[in-house]
Amino acid sequence: MYLRILRNDIRRSKAITLTTMLFVAAATMLVALAAVLVVNLSGAIDTLMTQSKTPHFTQMHAGELDTARLAAFAQQNQAVADFQTLEFLNVDGAQFVFESGSLATSVQDNGLAMQSETFDFLLNLDGEVITVADGEIYVPITYIQGGIARVGETVTVAGKRFTIAGALRDSQMQPLLSSSKRFLVSHNDFTALKQFGSVEYLIEFRLHNMDRLGAFEAAYTAAGLEANGPTLTYALFRLFNGLADGLMIAVILLVSVLVIAIAFLCIRFSLLAKIEDDYREIGVMKAIGLRVADIKRIYLTQYVAIAAVGSLLGYGLSLLFRDALLANIRLYMGESANATFAPLLGIFSVTLVFVAISAYVNGVLGRFRHISPAEAVRFGVSQEKAGGGRHFRLSANRWLGTNMFLGIKDVLARKSLYVTMLTVLVLAAFIIIVPQNLHNTIASDTFITYMGVGNSDLRIDIQQTDHIAEKAAEIAAVMANDQAIARFVVLTTQTFRVQLNDSSDERLKVELGDHSVFPLTYAEGRAPAAANEIALSVLNASEMGKTVGDVITLVIDGRTSTLTVCGTYSDLTNGGKTAKAVFSDPSADTMWSVITAELADPTLLDEKIAAYADRFAFAKVSDIDEYIRQTYGGTINAMGAASYAAIGVALALTVLITLLFIRMLVAKDRYAIAVMKAFGFTNADIRAQYVARSVFVLLLGMLLGTLLANTLGERLVGAVMASFGAASFTFIVNPAFAYLLSPLLMASAVLASTFFGTLDAGHIKISENIKD
Amino acid sequence: MQPLIRGENITKSFGVGTEKRNVLDGISVDIQQGEFVAVMGPSGSGKSTLLYALSGMDSVDSGRVIFDGANVSALKENELADLRRTNMGFVFQQPTLLRNLNILDNILLPSMRDGRKHGARLTEKATMLMEKTGIAGLEKRDITQASGGQLQRVGICRALMGDPKIIFGDEPTGALNSTSANEIMRLLAEIHRTGVTILLVTHDVGVATKTERVLFILDGRIAGEYLPGVYDETRDDGKAREEALTAWLAEMNHV
Repeated sequence: MYLRILRNDIRRSKAITLTTMLFVAAATMLVALAAVLVVNLSGAIDTLMTQSKTPHFTQMHAGELDTARLAAFAQQNQAVADFQTLEFLNVDGAQFVFESGSLATSVQDNGLAMQSETFDFLLNLDGEVITVADGEIYVPITYIQGGIARVGETVTVAGKRFTIAGALRDSQMQPLLSSSKRFLVSHNDFTALKQFGSVEYLIEFRLHNMDRLGAFEAAYTAAGLEANGPTLTYALFRLFNGLADGLMIAVILLVSVLVIAIAFLCIRFSLLAKIEDDYREIGVMKAIGLRVADIKRIYLTQYVAIAAVGSLLGYGLSLLFRDALLANIRLYMGESANATFAPLLGIFSVTLVFVAISAYVNGVLGRFRHISPAEAVRFGVSQEKAGGGRHFRLSANRWLGTNMFLGIKDVLARKSLYVTMLTVLVLAAFIIIVPQNLHNTIASDTFITYMGVGNSDLRIDIQQTDHIAEKAAEIAAVMANDQAIARFVVLTTQTFRVQLNDSSDERLKVELGDHSVFPLTYAEGRAPAAANEIALSVLNASEMGKTVGDVITLVIDGRTSTLTVCGTYSDLTNGGKTAKAVFSDPSADTMWSVITAELADPTLLDEKIAAYADRFAFAKVSDIDEYIRQTYGGTINAMGAASYAAIGVALALTVLITLLFIRMLVAKDRYAIAVMKAFGFTNADIRAQYVARSVFVLLLGMLLGTLLANTLGERLVGAVMASFGAASFTFIVNPAFAYLLSPLLMASAVLASTFFGTLDAGHIKISENIKD
Repeated sequence: MQPLIRGENITKSFGVGTEKRNVLDGISVDIQQGEFVAVMGPSGSGKSTLLYALSGMDSVDSGRVIFDGANVSALKENELADLRRTNMGFVFQQPTLLRNLNILDNILLPSMRDGRKHGARLTEKATMLMEKTGIAGLEKRDITQASGGQLQRVGICRALMGDPKIIFGDEPTGALNSTSANEIMRLLAEIHRTGVTILLVTHDVGVATKTERVLFILDGRIAGEYLPGVYDETRDDGKAREEALTAWLAEMNHV
């Protein structure tokens, strides 16, 4: 019997059955994929890092290296299992010439390395330690995958020709987030090319016990060893390696949550519409003594069948797409050690979704318990309590059209019924507006205020080279005599030890120079003017627990000095942890220098950039816009794409839910529609009433959604931005989009769905629904 | 004289294939202006179907319905809605009121579609009708706060709001006790005396005797017609009329 009912029901409501099934399939597919990816990713990272013997602690350093002192430290420290220093020969991108072009425009620091003998191995795609011959070069996999290099082709590095022998996996530097990329060459070739680049050292340690990493880091700092570059740890390498694919998994999981929510809403609306359709029959079944469980089974069978078919379909689809999504992980990290668990976890997650859907259907069907047989048999439709809007009376209405009045009255009287639609519309408005506002903000000219730099035309970076101070002075001397430069400033970043309240100390990067030349916007306070003042980035200030007026103790030129915090500012660069001061200390390690300048005639910008780049090959010369584009261009573009995708998702969601909701309402309101038709209301009148309901809910939804987007949304984004170092983040809203285009898009989606959703109302026959 | 409603050879069937059943089987009927007519017949004989066909609430398979000279069967959906709103009133067995609206708003509902600007006048008229039908003071009440008899009067008030030429009643007393049923019939008789045509479907002999003409339907056709004559409740307790009608109905049922 169940099978017959099932067949008939599916035949009667093909569209809704198919929609529900597709959403269940999509949800299970995404959940299964996410599960499989999580298992594979974590396993593959472990495999890669085990095979590579990734260092537990790496200190990068440019300049002189006291190897004996480092070796002594390693020997004395009980935690150290292994120690080595590797050389990384930083070569200008333009010196790498592939058949398809050079790396001149690459923002990465590309360089040559030799294979290590003890740990931090560079691996081939089979996960084996590469042995490289003279004349051969192994290229970071990202360049092979990106089509820049091909195995078997030749590449010229600083004039020397190499044959590309293969791609290499580098557990330390291969993630895109890592700013350096290692090319592997033989010892002889490395030595031959040494004169064409600057050597940077990787001081690497492996520990007996990773738990002691914190103590080891402190000991390294306390020993005052070489440390003028970034410090990296095993956990960070793991995070970097997992981030790109981890983000993809997070997005898949987020989307799958959304899709499951939609699947639930689909089921809820179609089930409620069905219960309304069959209200009298359900009442009769109860009246003749069938138990609620018996009646439930009839409906449950159908939805369990839909969920089962959808889940199987979803799992099948996940198998189809799995390899494509795993390809990246496999290519960059190799096979996962626990890959065999992946299909099992996939099946488990699909089963979980299936059980959740079945339980949900069972829950919705619980309302059978509340159906009064007498009421159902008598009225044929549920008689929900009319509440609210009591004072909104037709007799007192002088302003609204009767149809509009009836529409709004219905929403007010049955508020609880419209909450779901309202929630979806609020969400949709939120999903449309927040990413768009964020994109608009980070793409705006004023975004530079969050980057810890003042507004100028030109920027010259001198880093990862020797004699930075001398080189900066050389450029400054040229600029001082250059008529085209209206003003300029040299800002040098040096590291200092800062003594914290808990008597421990930490290294602080401080940008020294005259900060009044190109002032930036301070979140609090002002720029440092005196030698005993320091401004902190908001992340540093909050981490140190300092506010404007507090003092911090720095070790300057070997002596402790007390500096007053005079201001805090947003900074998204350098991990958000910087400081600015005006004192000078020639003895401290210089990390880099930046020279910013403003031109007397901004139209000469390109010309000046070319001239300075040509003259000072060791420096990176860029215009400020280009600097932002290089630093955040990818993010801005990705955010733009994401915001358009968000609009698409939100509109699709709006159309689907409104359509399902209105169809459910029409089924529920058959009786009222028949009554109104009997008394002379036309189909157009009925439709107008539904449009009024939709528009009323839409207006409320958009209003709440926009308010939420500009308050909660801004705060949420602000919290995320704050974690990257931007204080007092505010949206820069494009009013034409936020307040005109997005409401228009949503209104069109809702109106079109309401129109199609009410088509059924025209087919409601008075005689069939009123006849006693 | 031209009848207010004329039904010509109306057929109407339900179901398909072997389950197809002719509910109206070529029925023809005339209802004159100002008449008070009852339609009787066994269950499933097609009484209500005839009422819905004559009022344009349901389409017919063949034949046609003429209302006040207009061919109802040829009217479009919107024209039918206008016709119902401006010329017809309906009273059903159940009150058929909207739960979201209070009693006054339910009465105003059809007339307010066109007459929002005359809201005050319409409210005044509704209040007057409520007074006449004995439900004054219930205006702001929710429909759940009134009795079945009171709700049926609300339905009558709503039917009268548009000054209809005819009121269709589908078992208007069917769900009421005899006291309430008598009051509703007294009200309908009063309305009839003002010149409004009334066409009722009923099972109740007591109700039918208070009309001027009784049509008996069997298997989708008019099997007979009975004229109880003009009923005057002040002089007649109605018993003799009821007995005579009952005898006629028995005869009809045997036919």
